[in-house]
Amino acid sequence: MKNHWPILVVDDEEVMCESLAAWLREDGYAVDTAASGRAAVDKARQRDYAIYFVDLKMPGGMDGIETMMQVRRLHPEASIIIITAYATVDTAITAMKEGAQEYIVKPCNPEEISLLVNRIIKVKNLQRENTILRKKLSRKYCTHDVISKNARMREILALAAEVASLRSTVLIQGESGTGKELVARAIHNSGDRAQKPFVAVSCAALAETLLESELFGHERGAFTGAMQQKQGKFEMADGGTILLDEIGDISPKLQVDLLRVLQERSFYRVGGSEEVRVDVRVIAATHVNLQQAVAEGRFRDDLFYRLNVIEIRIPPLRERREDIPLLAAHFLERLSHELGKELDGISEGALRLLMDYNWPGNVRELENAVERAMVTCRSRMLSEEDFAFLALNGAAGKALNFPAGMTLQDMEKQLIAATIQRAGGNIKESAAALGIDRSTLYEKIKRYEIPR
Amino acid sequence: MKYLYVGGMAEVDGEALESIRGRVAAEFALSPREIRLPAPGFAYDPIRGQYASTELLENLVRRCPPDAFKLLAVTECDLFIPVLTFVYGHAQLGGRVALVSLARLRQEFYGLPPNREVFVERALKEALHETGHTFGLVHCADRNCAMALSTNVRQIDSKRAEFCAACAARLPRPARPRE
Ligand SMILES: [Zn+2]
Ligand SMILES: [Zn+2]
Repeated sequence: MKNHWPILVVDDEEVMCESLAAWLREDGYAVDTAASGRAAVDKARQRDYAIYFVDLKMPGGMDGIETMMQVRRLHPEASIIIITAYATVDTAITAMKEGAQEYIVKPCNPEEISLLVNRIIKVKNLQRENTILRKKLSRKYCTHDVISKNARMREILALAAEVASLRSTVLIQGESGTGKELVARAIHNSGDRAQKPFVAVSCAALAETLLESELFGHERGAFTGAMQQKQGKFEMADGGTILLDEIGDISPKLQVDLLRVLQERSFYRVGGSEEVRVDVRVIAATHVNLQQAVAEGRFRDDLFYRLNVIEIRIPPLRERREDIPLLAAHFLERLSHELGKELDGISEGALRLLMDYNWPGNVRELENAVERAMVTCRSRMLSEEDFAFLALNGAAGKALNFPAGMTLQDMEKQLIAATIQRAGGNIKESAAALGIDRSTLYEKIKRYEIPR
Repeated sequence: MKYLYVGGMAEVDGEALESIRGRVAAEFALSPREIRLPAPGFAYDPIRGQYASTELLENLVRRCPPDAFKLLAVTECDLFIPVLTFVYGHAQLGGRVALVSLARLRQEFYGLPPNREVFVERALKEALHETGHTFGLVHCADRNCAMALSTNVRQIDSKRAEFCAACAARLPRPARPRE
């Protein structure tokens, strides 16, 4: 247990340094020594020590307090014990104010130092246990904001954790709103790039030339309006991860450029002749079936294979309905803070309705639905009525059931309402789906007083 | 044959020294040998009025006989390292040389009436403890084990002059006789 907690002893006097180190080693700790503040900071950069014993008085322009402050900058959690002589106790008290947790006056009683170290280690052990416990709890259903108890989703998250520290390209496929970016972030956050940037780019949003300069940056004067050199997203993500969302939408030219980046790990800025080298992990995401795009010749197969080294397919929400109550509760809690509206929960009837709904817009649609219901809700509990806007659609989404006394007209009304809802209010699309022309649809909307 | 050399640095309590030599050798399955060691005056620090433990240990390492498996030095001098007010002993962790001080083990040191039995028992425990370090043992969480850290005599008295099962398992066992 003790050797989990390495200690660094810092003193310019070798005997003092080595004897304290030896004494602590006999106590079971892994102890390193440093002969100056500078050496200590170098060592702290390479290893995260649990405790630093730092002598207050050291020559060479870097005393104990300066050393402490620099170490603190690297490791805010580190415990730093300043060692001082009687003559400099005042300075040590200043050090306390500067953030040293403890100081000892040498020579110090062995019992005192032993108790001090034990106390610090006990706290660190507790903190570690707490973190592990918290991680275990959150790992149960929630990994970096991806909330699920669905077996396939758990597998995906396990895979994400497994491949997190590799540099292999990942291709995430899934319908819109399934949380592709969250999974990409989970991969980034659980790997050794977590401290480095995560940069997300939506490839669908921009025209080809803009996207090119967005990704690779441009030199000054590369095109009209390029007043200054600009860093691209690949450079911004150096050392970290770039998420290329909607990769299926990129132009053939960009497909070639991207292939080159993946192969050579380098590129040219737009209008530039200098090769820029980067260490970036690429995660691509798409809602279209890329394999099909390859088959149809719209997407380069060599790029597809480069991207598809690790493949993750996120199931749509309707294929993991068990997550709906979990997600709804999560959104309710989060949004109640954001909207400043405290609610007690979601009624059973409302939950049943949410479970039955088809969720074409997946998790994002669920989040929007919860928000919409919360905004209009008048009681402390979200009820079926609050989700009435889904009900019309939901009836059509699940296997139809026909309550006794339902007329053909009732059914027509529900079907039309549901179709319009699903088409996001697009009349042309709804009419096509229903197999009628637009004017007929308008007429029926008017007759049935269907809300749009 | 594996030898454990045990010697006093200057004059030391004969009874304690004999007891240590016999018991420590038996505990680690070593053959005891006597050795003459230098007086520790060279390590005296006049400001602290104590003897620098690190310096003594370094000297002992140089004097360790080639055929010594371990060397244990016993002294009446009060030992210190710069950061600490005193140490009961000092050893090369996983090395060959250990040093134990008797200075603070007598009842008289604390203004109490003398007790030979208590004194010799403490000396034995600390000798086992420091020698244990040379076998790579570090401090043990079992308060009764000889490898428990003692920073006062109360703690020495509450441990036994033997190793707990976990520490013993990491030592060469005397059960297997060596010729
Ligand atoms: Zn010890
Ligand atoms: Zn033990």
